[in-house]
Amino acid sequence: MWRIAPAGESALLVDLGESIDERILGQVLALDAALSRNRPPGLRRPIPAYASLLCPFDPLLLEPARLEALIREIEPTVVAQPPDGRRVVVPVRYDGPDLARVAERSGLGVSRVIEAHAGRDYLVYAIGFAPGFAYCGEVAPSLATPRLPPPRASVPAGSIGIAGRQTGIYAVESPGGWNLVGRTELTLFDPVEDPPARLQPGDRVRFEPVP
Amino acid sequence: MIQVLRPGAWTTVQDSGRPGLERFGISPGGPVDWFAAAVANLIAGNREDAALLECTLEAPALRFSEAATVAIAGGEVEGAPGWTARRLEAGATLELGRIRPGLRTYLAIGGGLGVEPVLGSRSLCQLGRFGGGFGRPLRAGDVLSIGSEIAHDSWSQPWPAAHRLPLQGPWEVRAIAGPHAGAFPDGSLRRLADTALLVTPAIDRMGMRLRAPALRLQASEILTTGVTEGAVQVTPSGELIALLAEHQPTGGYPVIATVIRADLPLLAQARPGDTIHLRLCGVEEAVGALRRLVDWLRG
Repeated sequence: MWRIAPAGESALLVDLGESIDERILGQVLALDAALSRNRPPGLRRPIPAYASLLCPFDPLLLEPARLEALIREIEPTVVAQPPDGRRVVVPVRYDGPDLARVAERSGLGVSRVIEAHAGRDYLVYAIGFAPGFAYCGEVAPSLATPRLPPPRASVPAGSIGIAGRQTGIYAVESPGGWNLVGRTELTLFDPVEDPPARLQPGDRVRFEPVP
Repeated sequence: MIQVLRPGAWTTVQDSGRPGLERFGISPGGPVDWFAAAVANLIAGNREDAALLECTLEAPALRFSEAATVAIAGGEVEGAPGWTARRLEAGATLELGRIRPGLRTYLAIGGGLGVEPVLGSRSLCQLGRFGGGFGRPLRAGDVLSIGSEIAHDSWSQPWPAAHRLPLQGPWEVRAIAGPHAGAFPDGSLRRLADTALLVTPAIDRMGMRLRAPALRLQASEILTTGVTEGAVQVTPSGELIALLAEHQPTGGYPVIATVIRADLPLLAQARPGDTIHLRLCGVEEAVGALRRLVDWLRG
């Protein structure tokens, strides 16, 4: 059963599971879609991330108990299956400042690290932290690398990083503690575009090495 | 036009922000003290959510090339009476100084600020470097235009003292058990409520760090989730971070409690060195407290 808990008086956090799992993200996105088809007055746009959906609302327009009842009505209709997102190819120049660190820790050497990182599809589990930042998973176990002890004050837009078994894309320049392995020229966030972020949860990303 | 002679410590253009765009990684933003900002706009003759200036620590000096109605609400600011509107003549200089008591004050101009909206809002998005007119806080030499969206007459009387919120601690701030309260050992929430939390100097529009060295809260790990304004996160080293208006849309630290919306203005005005006591309450009390403030605004 989903766990539904208040996040203040103006939001409910729905936890659909406790692991990084394609099929749980699929359920999160299915709940999100069901709520957007049948959005009660006062419900704001929910925020999907990994295994949860945060549902903010105006408590003067919508009673939390009514929203919870609606979510419980949707629960049995949602099937556990991987999300059906778009496929996006992200060209990457693998020359990041932490590529050597990842290569050394993994014992694979630089070219095998690139091969392993670019060799699979990644699911976008959340967009957050900073505008357009895409949390993707999961890298091969051999590539898992802990976050940098002190984060960098500034990471350039387009940087591709690894943190634990997650890989992510910095869409705008921001502070950051992920191990930077490369960089893409692709614009992943533009405030004048609609939608402003190119990727969304459920999309599948493949990194393509470019010279 | 308004010319910025001196920008103050951290002055930004804010309206009601960009709620609804969190899924693109965009912070909802908006004023940290939403109540004072709404009052400043109302007494200036604007809609509650018109674009105004949020000033932190020290307010700016501005020259007006045209006559304007200005209204200040929030922290007390040197050089101008608060919670009231007044008329400035063309060519006037508004010289504002330090803010105290309180930390943030709001300067509304009748008609609002004529700043170009980006993604539906005139608020600065700090991490994205867009909005707010310049994609950054104000600097000396910036020029702002005055908008023409006057909603009603400006107030001839000051905002009633009975309808203002405290500007000085010690602060009692109400909070609801957080969505991850269950990730902490039994009794953690009670101990949190029994402990005085010290406000550190690490404060910005995204959040504020609170210290309680004796508390030593520890939780099991959680997956990254969406987070709300007012969320009190616990870092792995046991430090507390209360999220403010321009918080990141997602977070990976467990949220032990959430400050209620009606008491966010108190967090907004707390200064480094102040102490905060969290008092746990239920959703119903929180909604009642919110309704009370909204009723004050809607008169």
